[in-house]
Amino acid sequence: MARYVLYRLAMAVPLFLGAALLIFVAGHLAPGDPVQTLLGDRYTAATGAVLRHQLGLDRPLAAQFVDYLGQLATFRFGTSYVNPGLRVGDLLRTALPISLRLATLAVALAAIAGTVLGVTAATARGRPLDRLIQFGVVLGLSVPSFVTAAALVYLFALHLRLLPVAGWGHPADYVLPVTVLAVAPLAFITRIARSSVGQALLEDYVRTARSKGLRTPRVLFRHALRNAALPIVTTVGMAFGTAIVGAFVVEVVFNVPGIARVAVNAIFQRDYTVLQATVLVYTALFSFVNLAVDVSYAYLNPRVRY
Amino acid sequence: MALGVVLLLAVVAAGPWPAARAQMPQTFRTPLGGEAPTLDPYYAVDSASAPIVFLMYNTLVGLDAAGKLLPQAAASWDVSPNGLVYTFHLRDNMYFHSGRKATAADWKWSFERMGSPALKSPVGSVVVPGVQGYDAFQGGADGIAGITAVNPTTLRFVLNPARRGGFLNRLAYYAAVVLDKDVVGRGQGWYATQDAGTGPFILKEWAHNDHFTLAANPRYYAGAPKVATVSIPIVTEARTQLSEYLAGQLDFVPVPLGDYQRISADAKLKPELLVYPRAQILYLGLNPRVYAPFRDRRVRRAFAMAIDKARIARTVFFGFFQPANSFVPGGIPGAYKEYRGLPYDPAAARKLLDEAGVTGKLPPFRIAMNPFGPVAQMEAEPAAAMLKQNLGVDASLEKTEFSTFISNLNKRTVYQSFMTGWSADYLDYSDYLDILLYSTSPLNRLNYSNPEFDKLVDQANAAPNDAARIALYHQAEALMVEDGAVVPMLFSQFAYLKKPYVKGLRTSPAVNGWLPFDTVVIEK
Repeated sequence: MARYVLYRLAMAVPLFLGAALLIFVAGHLAPGDPVQTLLGDRYTAATGAVLRHQLGLDRPLAAQFVDYLGQLATFRFGTSYVNPGLRVGDLLRTALPISLRLATLAVALAAIAGTVLGVTAATARGRPLDRLIQFGVVLGLSVPSFVTAAALVYLFALHLRLLPVAGWGHPADYVLPVTVLAVAPLAFITRIARSSVGQALLEDYVRTARSKGLRTPRVLFRHALRNAALPIVTTVGMAFGTAIVGAFVVEVVFNVPGIARVAVNAIFQRDYTVLQATVLVYTALFSFVNLAVDVSYAYLNPRVRY
Repeated sequence: MALGVVLLLAVVAAGPWPAARAQMPQTFRTPLGGEAPTLDPYYAVDSASAPIVFLMYNTLVGLDAAGKLLPQAAASWDVSPNGLVYTFHLRDNMYFHSGRKATAADWKWSFERMGSPALKSPVGSVVVPGVQGYDAFQGGADGIAGITAVNPTTLRFVLNPARRGGFLNRLAYYAAVVLDKDVVGRGQGWYATQDAGTGPFILKEWAHNDHFTLAANPRYYAGAPKVATVSIPIVTEARTQLSEYLAGQLDFVPVPLGDYQRISADAKLKPELLVYPRAQILYLGLNPRVYAPFRDRRVRRAFAMAIDKARIARTVFFGFFQPANSFVPGGIPGAYKEYRGLPYDPAAARKLLDEAGVTGKLPPFRIAMNPFGPVAQMEAEPAAAMLKQNLGVDASLEKTEFSTFISNLNKRTVYQSFMTGWSADYLDYSDYLDILLYSTSPLNRLNYSNPEFDKLVDQANAAPNDAARIALYHQAEALMVEDGAVVPMLFSQFAYLKKPYVKGLRTSPAVNGWLPFDTVVIEK
């Protein structure tokens, strides 16, 4: 197991290099650059040239990339091109924990509620409750997050005045963004749990357990769920990754200073340093989550050996 | 197990809960639409940095709510009989936020930094080129000879006769401020934690992408501001700003165009609505370098006469914006309000196309829309439809995201035409005609080159007095509009919602629509 983990960590290095190269090239090849975007309507060739020189953007691409790799090796992410007073490391340090917190809470909520709903649906297979849950899943998957966000804000913040409209600081600020972000993963996890547990409930060992006289909860949680857990865990892992990246709409609507908003703004402003750093952070996150999910298989299913 | 992993991550990710933004008494809360890329006034040309700079710094002269000039750092000034020597008598009680008194020497240093050839800051072209010795300074001379700090409270400017026009108006430019050179001397990024200003508010906190907190300056020359703190959260979505205002989390917000009618019809919100003119022109720029038929003046005029701006203003913008026949908006001193421009006359337009021999032969026409905000598209759609209907030209629209749009605009060889706008940074004719249409202006993206227009602008800049200057500018403006260089579309307005307990807020047609908040009082 330890060897496997080390092997995966070693494989991450070329992965990061590849990601760094890809995003570096893509960013610089896109039309527009941070200087033109920054100066906007007041851009002139002369002003632009001086700024570009200050930022080192007039050097050949290869030289810039080598410099960049050198900085990365010492974990220095540089300063933002659009906001030269801002160190990218500081930006990540403040924005990333917020997104992680948001994503973790959302996925935790989705995982617990989704599993419960999925198990309920699986045991009530074919009956009205199951149909209702399935309908809920379809809704959750098809309604876009900004619609859900708008509806919840209207109801809870403006109409009932129970929660704040937007912002980040109070515990109350977490409720709506986490709820909205949890909707899609909840739908996915419910669906997977329902089919996976439903499948497990058809197995012979469940019939044996029942005929032994075991009560349903024990059958479910001690036997069926453990066997059905693998697909659910995979989905939870994927959901976590998507929640970090896909939180953009939630972060914009609820004004949460998280990393998804930072990343998308960096794309629009062509802020190469911030963009490159956020892509590498995402790569690291996804790699870690995938590794965690893979490692968990060995615990959930003793037949899996690395 | 999976739950365990998730919970572990939660523990790892959870840090200290950030302190809630307490609603303290005497805090004025208004949002900003985006993160400010800089707080160096000489680089603050975007709509996020400019308002913050406006609150923390002072200019020699300022503006009142009607856009008229007022003394600010200069208590008074004398102008020589030939109009070329301005002597400013500075106040003796202006202090930098660091504690040091601001003197004429600081102003000289600041203007020289503004026009420094090493920095080439984007604000450097506004005030300093009009001063004697600027060209030598660009060539390597030590300082600008035309600016003299006669004594700590007397600052003298000798102007270059060829570029003397609108000097006082230019000095009111929000970026023509005095800087504390000790703070600036800290090096790159000096503005991140401290401001170098003398203004009514001091930078207390800048949480990137989150909020600004400004504290009142107790030593402000005009008296300490009545609000202790200005809290400026960064809220990128206009609708979210509105929702926060309705929920009582903000005191003063802009009204998104799409919500204007609903709010002005709402009995509870209508009294809180502030509507007033904005010094902004929305126009369609015609680029003859890319769309060949535009090389014939008649074709440009035909296009201009085929678009019914009054109807667009009435129906699409529900009368909230005004149709523009001239180019320079009201709010600019001397604006040509009575000018009728080119009429809406589709028959005459078709006749012009006949004369030019292009009827039925016009190649497909594309309008590139500025993606910033919904306005460009709201105007471009009816405009394209009218061109199709009235002239038979196959007009279509294109839109890309902002970076690409700006990059293409700067190339000058990509867009056949573009629907965009221009807002006043300082209230003067030169901010419009010189900057956008003079043939050698680096910001002329229309490839418009008319020697007669250039001559009129040169004469205006060298004019001996304001009346003569404005008269010449009127001629230049008329010439440019008749020439069909652009199709002026609309003059816009500001619409803000302000809570009834906020008193003393002054509005302005320039920048973001308000004057610094030192007169604001919260009466709760």
